[in-house]
Parts: sequence; structure tokens; C-alpha cells
Amino acid sequence: MASHMIIDVDGLGMLITLLQREGYRVIGPTLRDGAIGYDVISQVDDLPLGWEDEQDAGRYRVKQRQDTAVFGYAVGPHSWKRFLYPSPVVLWRARHSADGWRINQPAEDGARLAFLGVRSCDLHAIMVLDRVLLRGPYVDPSYAERRRQAFLVAVQCAHFTPRTCFCVSLGTGPRATHGFDLALTELVQPQTHRFVVEVGSARGAAILQQLPHRPAQPSDLAAAERAIAQTAASMGRQLQTAGLPAALLANLEHPHWDTIAQRCLACGNCTLVCPTCFCFTAEERTDLTGATTERIRHLDTCFTLSFTYTAGKSLRQSIRSRYRQWLTHKLATWVEQFGTFGCVGCGRCITWCPVGIDLTVEAATIASTGQTTKGVE
Amino acid sequence: MDHRALTTQVTGSPFVPLPFLVIGRRRETRDTVTLRLRSLCDATLHAQPGQFMMLSVYGIGEVPISISGLPRRPGELEHTIRAVGSVTRHLVALHRGDHIGVRGPFGTGWPLEAAYGQDVLLIAGGLGLAPLRSALVAILRERWRYRQVVVLYGARSPADLLYRRDLSGWQQRAKITVYVTVDHPDPSWRGQVGVVPNLIRQVTALFEPTNTVAMICGPEIMMRFTVRELQKHGIPDERIFLSLERNMQCGIGLCGHCQFGPFFLCKDGPVLPYSRLAPYRDIREL
Amino acid sequence: MNDRSPLELLATHPFTADLSEDQQAHLATCARIAHYAPDDYLLREGQPATAFYLIVSGLVSIELFVPGHGPRPLQTVEGGSAVGWSWMLAPSRWEFDARALEPTTAVVFDAEQLRALFREDCCLGLRLVQRLLFVVTERLKAARLQLLDLYGPPRER
Repeated sequence: MASHMIIDVDGLGMLITLLQREGYRVIGPTLRDGAIGYDVISQVDDLPLGWEDEQDAGRYRVKQRQDTAVFGYAVGPHSWKRFLYPSPVVLWRARHSADGWRINQPAEDGARLAFLGVRSCDLHAIMVLDRVLLRGPYVDPSYAERRRQAFLVAVQCAHFTPRTCFCVSLGTGPRATHGFDLALTELVQPQTHRFVVEVGSARGAAILQQLPHRPAQPSDLAAAERAIAQTAASMGRQLQTAGLPAALLANLEHPHWDTIAQRCLACGNCTLVCPTCFCFTAEERTDLTGATTERIRHLDTCFTLSFTYTAGKSLRQSIRSRYRQWLTHKLATWVEQFGTFGCVGCGRCITWCPVGIDLTVEAATIASTGQTTKGVE
Repeated sequence: MDHRALTTQVTGSPFVPLPFLVIGRRRETRDTVTLRLRSLCDATLHAQPGQFMMLSVYGIGEVPISISGLPRRPGELEHTIRAVGSVTRHLVALHRGDHIGVRGPFGTGWPLEAAYGQDVLLIAGGLGLAPLRSALVAILRERWRYRQVVVLYGARSPADLLYRRDLSGWQQRAKITVYVTVDHPDPSWRGQVGVVPNLIRQVTALFEPTNTVAMICGPEIMMRFTVRELQKHGIPDERIFLSLERNMQCGIGLCGHCQFGPFFLCKDGPVLPYSRLAPYRDIREL
Repeated sequence: MNDRSPLELLATHPFTADLSEDQQAHLATCARIAHYAPDDYLLREGQPATAFYLIVSGLVSIELFVPGHGPRPLQTVEGGSAVGWSWMLAPSRWEFDARALEPTTAVVFDAEQLRALFREDCCLGLRLVQRLLFVVTERLKAARLQLLDLYGPPRER
């Protein structure tokens, strides 16, 4: 594996062009509708140069920076599942003709995806989805294909205040250590704007070879480490994870769930912005003539009443039970199911909750004021 | 609805149903039929008692239905279906020669091997007899492997009793004991009236609690009271197996709808030992 | 079974098996054995409640007679259980019918003598009333579950 290299802002632009030439559809952060989301980009100017965000529980604003940093903001409302695990997806299509029904699975669109600007929390979120969707016994074919092809350019978190982030608590950041093809650390100083590049795969190395690059100096590496350490030190939220799953499961009837339910609107925003929420609903859509029908899946949320509709009734009628399902899945039962938390500490659910419910606070309240975990595994 | 010949391009996708032919249909009750199906492309398919399949009516939707019998030959399936929603109403209306889509088998089966050499209690409420029937048929095929075999079955009324012909056949076999009770008798009913848990105390002489495997399927409340009664008679939690129902949509552990505590019932269940469910026993709306 | 005495049956019936031999003997003094053919009535609604029944074998229907409908069984009681508690409570009249559905054998206690025995031996009285309460509870629990119509069509539940 090559040692650390330096590219400059032009090099970043060439990276985008190069990935496109290699057949990738390049997706990166871009400013739209007052938020930094992810979309198809074709040049450096599509990136939110000189923008940053201000986040807090229930609050998100973008504003201009003093400098021209390209990646000087935390994660926004989008996550990469939007592209790896899109919604809706046609699972199969059936056509009726004189000989009866003929079913086939629509081909994938075949696009290879390159993600530019994947934060460490989101790399971990992709690894979480890998465990859910690829580990079997059944594999999601559409995710598997997109995931296999995807080229990941990580960005180390630096030059912003991570107000709603808590990746340090979950060990998922802010430093991206693996799971990427290339990782960039932005160094933005008055005279020199450049990126330290780490190589994470042979694919990444091959791409880097084609870009103008030079070896990183020890001072560059030190500056990069300082910037990442600064982000880690200024983390705005934290979550005590030791013993948390057992503590939550021992307190499924804690009165605090009712308190949360008085605020929760069951809008499902948290599940929409969550980079690991994967639940879907499948339904059949038939054309007017009845000659073709499609089975379509779209992302669903455990906050809807219909989510648990079984034999004529919904099993989770109260908002209390639906919030509890979501939080305990992320922070407790997920661990038993998949050997990892379903939360990566990205903080999106805190920022985008319209009433500012903060899961780090709610989980801590339940765990610290509830019954001890004796008797519950 | 046209249910004629149907082909599937074999894709390997676990979401794509495979074509099956309806080879038999038997009406069980006013709203329930048993369908026999044969695969048109996979003659080796073998579903275990307790597992379920996703049955698909094109243009309407897909539902999870458990195996209710053992196939006479590989590649065949037997399902008992009650018309309660739009998909099941279409399934119940199918006839011999129709084609439907099927995915599966999915989920865990009844612990038949764990019950070798043991007394076996099969306890069913309502349509819950359907998944247990497959276990019973398997047990009867290898009756010598088990000690006492007791079937306890509760239904709403005599007209709602499933498998009436089978039941009388089973009752006449000396080597299994069948007790049936109904909630609402009709004038011709000379049998027991009451709930299933009441039947358990009537058969205590037939089983040795620590060498018994109990398999239960029925409405949640019926299972709750049945478990309590079994516990009262000394059957350990890890020997009590329940088949749970939730809205399995994908059947393969990906859609999240059937979650119950740490379980996706489509892959960790539907059959689970009570010892694993007990921590969540009293949690409402889990 | 026909040739067994009330005392022998009390020694093995779940309701009385764990009482002392003395207590069983006392109870046996106010008991007789009765056999019922299918459709024989053990007791009838409105009649004076003068007896208490331990069902030894067979099946008994607790029911009401509904005009235009005939007997309407509500619950059945099998061997090993008990029938009838109205004799303990004023005005001591049966509120339901009890009819044999199968050939049935019961140990029948004379209520008057039983009440006298309880006054004399309160300990025995308490033990039997506790058991009777257990039977009442089980019957009530079953009735509550039946009320839920557990196996009805899901949408109507």
C-alpha cells in the first residue's frame, strides 16, 4: 500500500473526471435547498466550497465559511443508502399474455457508483448495512451489486464543529481507518489548499497513480492528525455504550418511554435520515388493464401504524411502543442480531427530529434511572 | 383473474416467486380451504413442518402461509388458508389447474428430532392446527420414535373444526390421544365446551413433564394461557415451543416488519422455544 | 368402578386425594355414588341446591335451556373436577343446568350434612372452600377467555 500522498484542489477535480472516465457515476456533497445533501456531481464547483453547517437538536442551517474548505461541514440529511439501497426498487415484474403470466426481474441499471466525501460514520453505516443485507442466509441482490461496484472516497472529518455527532462514543470515527478506496484529509490554509490522500485498496491505488500527486511531508501528516484530533475533541454529544443494550432491554416498561412519546410525532424523519435503517414494505402495483403487475419495495419506517399490521390490526398502536422499537433496535437488539450497534453516531436523527428528541439523552435517561440489568441478558 | 400457465425466468433473486400448480383443493370450513401445490420448476423442494412459504397472487400481493401437511412427493406443498384479507380471499378461490407463485421455504421448523424418545404435546387453537398438522403427520410417519403423542385442539365452534376427517382418523388410532374442545357448541355437539388450557389437566397422566416436548400454535392469548398451564404442570420453558405470527413481508430477514424483540420471526422463528421468548413475555406492544 | 365405595373414590379424586384419611372418612359419611346416563340431569336451574358433585368420570355440560333453541352448553366439566356451588350460598337454588353428555359417575354429597360437617370442622371447611374457589376461578378464567372469541375472524375480534 502506498504511503500518504498529497493532491491539490485541481487534483480533486481530476479525481472526479477520472472516476467518470472509468465509468463511475460520481456522487458527492452538494448544496441544494439550504442543505448539503448528496447528488451526482461532475466538477469541483458542484461541491459546497466555502460552506459549513450549524446543527443542533431539531436545527440545521448552512452558512458561508471564512475559508474555501470543500468538506468543512458535518453530515447532512442524506446518507449513502439513498444510492446503495434506493427506494423504490422493482423486485419483479409480471406480464400477462395468451400463455399466462411471465415473470422476470428487471435488470439493474448497471451504473457503477463512486462516492466522494464519505465520512467515517457513514463508512461504518455501510459496513452495518453489509452485515444486514449481505451476510445471509439471504442476500439482497440489488444492494450486493451496487455495493460490490461502489468506489468509496472517504473524507476525514476536520474544520467544523461536530455539534450533534457522537461517533467517538461508538468507535466509528472521526478517523476513517478502513473500508475505503481512498481517504482524503483536507488541509486548508491561507496559501495552500490541499489534501492528504491515504490509499485503502488496490483499486484506490490505481486511481491515485493517474493523478498528479507528491509524497506527503511529515508536517502535512501532523497537520492532518491535528485537524482530526480537534474534531474528536470537540464532539458535541456522547453515549455511554458499555452495558447499554442490557440496560435498555431491562427497562422496556420504563415510564420515560411515555415521556418521550408525548413529544414524538411518529413522523419517521429519524428513520429517513438514518444511514442504517433498512426496513421496507413491498407492494404490488398493477396497471389499469391488469396485464402487467410489479412488486415494488420502498423504504418504510417502524413509526407508522401500518408497519406491524398483522391479521387485521396493528401490534404497535402507541407511539411509545414505536419509538421504543426504533431506539431499542438501534442500541440493543441490533447487537444481538448483527453483532454491532445499529447506530454509528452520525447524529442525523437528532438534527432532523422536528421536536429535537436526542437519542443520546433518552437512552442515557432510561439506562441511568431504570431497573438494574440483573436477570436480563 | 387468470391463473393459467406461468413461467419465471430463473434469477436467483430471493424475492422472485416460482410457479406452482394447484393439484388439489379441499374445503375445510366455511372460510378455509387446503390447497395442494406442485412446483413447476423445482422437484427437489422440501419444506419442513413449521416452516412457511410466501404465496403470491399476481396483481394482488403475497402472504406468509405455513406448511400444513407433508408432501406425498418432493416438490409438493400443502397449505391451509383462511380467507381473511384480499390475498387470502384470492387464494381460497383458486381451483385445480390454477397457477400461483411461491417463495420459500422460510423460517424454523418444529423440533421433531429433539422430541425423539419424548412425550409430545401438540396444542392448537383455531387455525393454529394447520402448522401443527404438518408436525403430526411427520410424527405419525415415524410413530415409533416418540412416546405418548397427545393432540389438544380448541376451535370456535364445531363448524370451524379443521381436518374433521383427519381428526376422527387420529382419534381412532390407539397410539395417539386427541382432545377437542369448542367455545360455542351447536346442538349436535356432544364433546367438550371450554378453552384449550382446560384440556391440559385432563392429560397430565399421559406425559412426564421433564421428558415432554410441547408445541403450541394459536392466537397469542391462547398461547399465553396455555404456557402458564404447562408451566404449572412442570414442563420446563425450553421444552415449550411456540409458533408466532407477525406480518412477514419478505420472509428472509430483510424487511424488518416481523421483528419481536431481538428476533426476526421470519428467520429466527416462527417456531421458538419459550425460554427465549420469556424475557419479553410481559412487554406490551413489543 | 361400580363396586368402589365413596371413600375409595375420595382417596383418589384430585379434589380430596391429599386430605387426611380422617377427613376423607368424615366426608364419606355424607356422600353417595351416582351414575348418570347421557342426557340425565345432575341438577336443574331453579331447583333447590341440595348437593355437591365430584365428577369421577364422564363429561358434564353446564348449560342453560334457551327457548326455541334447547340446551345451550356453556362449559363442560370432566372427570377429576367438581360441579355445583350454589348450595353454599343463599338462597341455595341452582342457577344453571348440569347434564351428563357421556356415561358419568359422580360422588354426590348431601349439602345439609356437608354444611354441618364444615361447622363442626372449620379447618376441613376452609380447605374445601379453598379448593372450590380454585374451581370457580378456573371456570371464570375459561369463561373470560371464551368471551374474547379468540378464534373468530380477525377483523371482528
